[in-house]
Amino acid sequence: MNLIRLQRMPIATPRVAFAFRVASVLLALFTTAIALSISGRSPVALGAKVISATFGSSFGLEDLALLFSPLVYCGLSVAVALRIGAWNIGAEGQFNFGAFCATGVALFVQGPTWVILPLMALAGMVGGALWILIPTLARAYADVSELITTLLMNFVAILLVYWVATGPWLDPSGMALATTSRLPVSVPALWGIVHWGPLVGIFLAIALALFVTYTRWGYEVRIAGANPGAARYAGMPVKTQLIGIMLLSGAIAGLGGMMEVAGTVGRLQGGISNNYGYIGIMVAVLARAAPIGVLATAFFMAVLLNGGIVLQSQGLTTHTVLAVTGLILLYAAIGDEMAHYKILHPKVKDI
Amino acid sequence: MARQTASIQQRLGLTPGTPPILALKGVSKYFPGVIANEDVDIDVYPGEIHALLGENGAGKSTLMNIVTGIYKMDAGEVIIEGHARDFSSPTDAIDAGIGMVHQHFKLVRAFTVAENIHLGWPQTPKCISKRHLESRTHALAQNLGLAVKPEAIVANLSTGEQQRVEILRVLARDAKLLILDEPTAVLTPKEARELFAALRAFVARGNAVIFISHKLDEVMEVSNRVTVLRGGKKVATEWTDTCTENSLAQLMVGREIVLTETQKKTAPSIKTAPILNLSDISLTTDQGTVLNNISFDLAAGEILGIAGIAGNGQRELTYVMSGLSTPSSGMLTLDGKDVTKAGARTMAQTGIGHIPEDRLHSGMAPTLSITDNAVLREYAQPPLTRKGWFSPKGAANLAREIARVADVMVPDFNMPARNLSGGNQQRLVARREMRIAEKILIAAYPSRGLDVGAINTMMRYFIELRDQGVAVVLISEELEELMNFSDRIAVMFHGEIMGIIPTKDADVEQIGLMMGGTRQEDLT
Repeated sequence: MNLIRLQRMPIATPRVAFAFRVASVLLALFTTAIALSISGRSPVALGAKVISATFGSSFGLEDLALLFSPLVYCGLSVAVALRIGAWNIGAEGQFNFGAFCATGVALFVQGPTWVILPLMALAGMVGGALWILIPTLARAYADVSELITTLLMNFVAILLVYWVATGPWLDPSGMALATTSRLPVSVPALWGIVHWGPLVGIFLAIALALFVTYTRWGYEVRIAGANPGAARYAGMPVKTQLIGIMLLSGAIAGLGGMMEVAGTVGRLQGGISNNYGYIGIMVAVLARAAPIGVLATAFFMAVLLNGGIVLQSQGLTTHTVLAVTGLILLYAAIGDEMAHYKILHPKVKDI
Repeated sequence: MARQTASIQQRLGLTPGTPPILALKGVSKYFPGVIANEDVDIDVYPGEIHALLGENGAGKSTLMNIVTGIYKMDAGEVIIEGHARDFSSPTDAIDAGIGMVHQHFKLVRAFTVAENIHLGWPQTPKCISKRHLESRTHALAQNLGLAVKPEAIVANLSTGEQQRVEILRVLARDAKLLILDEPTAVLTPKEARELFAALRAFVARGNAVIFISHKLDEVMEVSNRVTVLRGGKKVATEWTDTCTENSLAQLMVGREIVLTETQKKTAPSIKTAPILNLSDISLTTDQGTVLNNISFDLAAGEILGIAGIAGNGQRELTYVMSGLSTPSSGMLTLDGKDVTKAGARTMAQTGIGHIPEDRLHSGMAPTLSITDNAVLREYAQPPLTRKGWFSPKGAANLAREIARVADVMVPDFNMPARNLSGGNQQRLVARREMRIAEKILIAAYPSRGLDVGAINTMMRYFIELRDQGVAVVLISEELEELMNFSDRIAVMFHGEIMGIIPTKDADVEQIGLMMGGTRQEDLT
């Protein structure tokens, strides 16, 4: 019976928790490497290829920054909602609808760039917030799980964008199948082809982190998210908070969509969200809903996605990347639990 | 030593040489910076109910966690029926015949009693019909003398019935030693008497019980011997019939406690103007009418006790008075102003503190830090919040201050509040509420989970508050507590007030009748 024994501690120390996070990522990469080598490829060569293609050139780094942008917005969107205890599975839809509204402004409102761009950003945010409005009200007033409603709204938004991009707003030049014509305005470039999107995302994350820790509202949101009963007991307006934060969550995803059309892509096209909204769930969960953590996990996911593009050029499917992300999430979940355990050394004892 | 052992065996009617069911020798357990247990020796013999008594944090739970294989001791021996054992897991302890019933039941609420009894039990047949499962449960219950309804869903059972299911589940696994952690905390007096009868029958069959409790009267009533722990060490093991409640309290706290010290020091003047007035308050929820035409005045500088069996509207009444619920009809006036619809925030800001009945779920956010929880009442005002900006540093200072006066040792204020023991959570919440209670303090079952010393300290503070002119509403199931500390006692039954009696004219018999639904005016 004198095997190694484990004891579960009530809290995991941050350092141990972080170590387990890193270990789970490494283990996921290692598992993938084994799978790749079994299928007859050299994981080392592929890894080197991914790293050199991503970090070895300014093109790679620019692509990385452009991938980082939507992931930060979607990750923050999900993280913010988690803080009030809501699961926003609909960042994907809010991203699409935000992109749609921003495009509408760009196509149909004339004016100088410095007026149109902020107007587009506003339209994106309002659009994102509108797209989460029904799930929000249903949750607040009828206790309908936002998990399902936000998810279902995604399909509507995605199809709506496909429809306008192939129908009413289709590029009249006849050169494209499912995109609008190039937008007359775009978010200015900051470095190479990288626009302001990623930088604004970073500022947003910092602002949200400050909001949570250093404002009275932030404190109220923490309490209401952790235990609505205690928030009501302290006289906080729980319903208003829930509605406000969920709308903010939608607005952030919508702003991400605006940055995508007005910055990265330059036009609205079908499938513009590219699953960023769903990956954002992972970004937020891995970051434990901490805004600053979202920056790190979004960066990491951007590297992975970028790696996927490189792997594709080597004849592997994009599913490889999905498998890696799935493995990371699985191992991270296991690691989070394991971080609570302490090893007790058995004492040899004779009876 | 040998003579002493022989005398114990003799007194319990055992043949000389019978080994104890459980013997602990020099058991020690250390946590970083804390001595949880040191050098504890206890023998528990067949046929005895052995009470384990100690203040919050005296090391009772840790000791029992060692006995049941949850913790590993750092030094010492656990000897079961003469064999030294070293449990690797709770399963080992169960196999050795040790079963524990925790304060919080570990039942699957959606399952039937029969399913819960058989869940995770190696002796459950692999393939069995529902009927057979229930008949097995019925047979078990008969054998062990515990009445349960095998086909009932656990969620529909009363707390007392659920506890019986827990005990049956432990006993079904052939436990020879049953450990009960504060078993009566959740029971009505009648259920407690039934439990005691079942325990006596169990030990009469040559088994033993370890009974952890704070309640001295129960220890006196039910146990054969009692071991007192203080600061992780054993202070004494005594035959219960040689002790008194006072002597046990003294052993436990290590200083003289006069249990009735604060008794009958009636308020300076109840004649002061009413501070809070309830007139014809009724409340209807989806559970039906929970408060029915409640009218009374609360005077500044009095302690109003509210007696009644739990679930007769006490919780709803506290909610109405603290602004958490808006009454369906009637009016609530505070200092002459209508506050019927004021809401919880306004009421708290006007100086009404509220120690809620279910502190962990309505008074705290258990997953958040101790600091976040400690400042729940004062976060919105300076120095914590200035112009909307919240100061984590100010919050940490306030939390330290509250923990200091509450006498709660907090190793790390960033630790989630759920990691504090129940008693410490209660002290923190009570302190937090006393700070804001400038006019009224509503305390629902404030002594639940506290030991005698802590209860005494808390009651002294209530009396101090009263003497400063604060009105205290004290809700309790312990009639003795109400008789000792309140100036008037209101009795609730089915959402109505049966009557309000000045404590000096009250007798327990009368109050008992009113708790059962007799109106004051119908008493003869």
